[in-house]
Amino acid sequence: MINSLMKRFNIPPRNQWRNAIGKVIDDRVRIITAGLSIRELRAVMRGDPPTEKPNPRYKVITTSFIAHLRPRYYPQAATWFTHTFRLGFFTTFFFIVEVITGIILMVYYIPFPDQAYGSILEIESNVFFGELLRDMHRLGAEAMVIFSWLHLLRTYFTGSYKGPRTFTWLTGVLLLLMTAWLSFTGYLLPWDQLAYWAVTVGTSITEEGPVVGPQLNLLLRGGVDIGTGGLLRTYLQHVILFPLLAILFISIHYYKVSREHSISLPAVVEETELPPEKKKEANRRIDLIPDLLSHELFLISIGFFVMMVILYFRWFASPLETHANPQATPLDTKAPWYFWWLQGLLKIDPAAIIESLVNPLFETFGLSYRLELSLLLNSKFIMGLVVPPTLVIILMGIPYIDRNPSRLARKRPFAIAWGIAWIFVFIALSFMGTPQYGIETPPATRIIQDLAPEEGEGALREIPYAELFNRQTAYVVGKDYGADLCPGLSYQPDPEGDVNNVVVGCPHLTAVFNEFSDRLLEAEAEGRLPNLNAKLTVEQFQAGLVKVTPHVEWTDPVTGSPKTYEHTYFLHENRAQGE
Amino acid sequence: MTDAAAPAGQAELTPPEQPKLNRREFLGIAWLASLGFLTLSVGGLTVLFGLPRFREGEFGGVFTPGTVADLPAVETTPENFPKVKLWLSNTPEGLMALYKVCPHLGCLYGWNDQEFKFICPCHGSQYQHNGTYISGPAPRSLDRFVIRIEDETGQVLAETPADGGPLPIPENPGALVRVDTGSRITGKAHA
Repeated sequence: MINSLMKRFNIPPRNQWRNAIGKVIDDRVRIITAGLSIRELRAVMRGDPPTEKPNPRYKVITTSFIAHLRPRYYPQAATWFTHTFRLGFFTTFFFIVEVITGIILMVYYIPFPDQAYGSILEIESNVFFGELLRDMHRLGAEAMVIFSWLHLLRTYFTGSYKGPRTFTWLTGVLLLLMTAWLSFTGYLLPWDQLAYWAVTVGTSITEEGPVVGPQLNLLLRGGVDIGTGGLLRTYLQHVILFPLLAILFISIHYYKVSREHSISLPAVVEETELPPEKKKEANRRIDLIPDLLSHELFLISIGFFVMMVILYFRWFASPLETHANPQATPLDTKAPWYFWWLQGLLKIDPAAIIESLVNPLFETFGLSYRLELSLLLNSKFIMGLVVPPTLVIILMGIPYIDRNPSRLARKRPFAIAWGIAWIFVFIALSFMGTPQYGIETPPATRIIQDLAPEEGEGALREIPYAELFNRQTAYVVGKDYGADLCPGLSYQPDPEGDVNNVVVGCPHLTAVFNEFSDRLLEAEAEGRLPNLNAKLTVEQFQAGLVKVTPHVEWTDPVTGSPKTYEHTYFLHENRAQGE
Repeated sequence: MTDAAAPAGQAELTPPEQPKLNRREFLGIAWLASLGFLTLSVGGLTVLFGLPRFREGEFGGVFTPGTVADLPAVETTPENFPKVKLWLSNTPEGLMALYKVCPHLGCLYGWNDQEFKFICPCHGSQYQHNGTYISGPAPRSLDRFVIRIEDETGQVLAETPADGGPLPIPENPGALVRVDTGSRITGKAHA
């Protein structure tokens, strides 16, 4: 029937049809894939050798814009996991995560002081997947900082900055700076206390600069202090200027790797005599299509999977403190952890160090002259504006300083030792940069601040209401209350949960009180709080509201005058906990 | 190497005549120079564009806390102006407009009336009523703003000295006290 109709209307037979349609589809596919036929695509998926000659997979790289940015192949040895650890790949991966999540967050974020904090709250609480996106953006930022540092260390220790790759190293150092600046500018945007004061302290460093310092500070802050203009400037740098610059420099950096010099070969392959079959295997080409691409797909999946696991189990959550208050500086103002080394540098006073080294010499030689440098050397200027740029210049200049032609670790012991030494210097500086290090806070303030920090939760605020209510008690430090402060008390921590899950006594309150009294008594024993008289008062203030007051009295060891410090905390029955 | 190996006779050859600057080269250099100048001026203009300017009354501009008659009495609690971040301190030697930011690490210090001094809550730096450093980690005394006292006609009767010392108040209760929060004098560093 059909055959007779086809004959009647002069329609060609079916196989010709199929071939004709197949050819049309195949042509379209070749255009979309920039050169791969359907058969070839199938061969790629199956891991078969190329179906045509010349190899159509290389044609893709010459015709496709996206693919031409990529390498044709890498030598097998350059793809050893223990050589690169895929650190550069993951830095790029996190940059792309930042771009995507950042663009989505821009839909809700409002860069205006009156509304910025509110829009973050909105994203956190009233936007579908908003909290996840913000957490991804923050986690991705920290991961990008970590991976770019690790990538730098790997390149240093494998000597990959040598020879033709000096310029690649230079662009890499610039990208490290851009990563740091992108994370710093992003830090201010939530407009909470943490952000506001970290950025205030950070930008105030520029003020110490000679001649143009105050102007630079005005340019960055958009005013004498950070306000509407400052937030907008920071925002624009964060979402336009530096992403564009970073994309430009990533392109240059990556072009050098993918098209010009390839990934460096491991030094053992490049510089030692390997047996011929090993040499051959080390230089075997690993093609972009399909091997490198499928491996990258695998790495991307791992990257997202690990991020999701971290966020699902809440091992990481973006902090959000109280709304920024330009009139009140919180205690323990701190920079983000990846800038602690800089904060640590700022705590060093070069004048005092030189004086303490030189003046004993004058003393031993019986001279009455004493070196006084503190008026000449401004420590904020030197440690904030002289030392960090010098470090950056040294970092950029490493390929030109290190003239040793070998890349083998055993042939460059000095460079390896130098690198390890700097890692330790940075760890030590970061430790010095922690807010508690080297900053004298009066002991009573310090102890109470540690139990209930101005920003964040702290052990005191985490005491369950059930351990505190219906009480009118002052627990005196130094008095023995036995193992638990509330004998006879027992409560169910989860009223709707398991009935057998019962807490006896008040372990949280007891722990807080023990910590409070132990540290105070220790400070008294050290003579920092003489004539100590302290108590922790717990009162039912209203129905559903408990008032907790740590109270400390002592005699000032210097002036001998009596001192008092206390702080009041109100804990509500239905307050949200742990979030 | 090649110089040493060159035949001795070559030194006797006359060196090629130094080419003069021809028109094409001159125009090329002029072009490049004007492009460079353009780039520099655009750069400079961008900085000027980005520098904020301040109006009267704003923090960064000139602020008028009142007349001489409105000032706090001598040796009393300094007056707080949170919007422009300053403390107005009337000391026996004269008037001081102290910048509210601690020169240590940028915290806002406060006034302690019992001890009659400024104390920074962050790291405990202490300063006298006139801003002079007493103790703590701060590297210098408090920064101060330039004060001008002007009469009704706008004539300046008195101005904070260049070293930032206290300004003796002229006997003119109606004169305006004007604090220039854009010109800040850093406090004296201590040894």
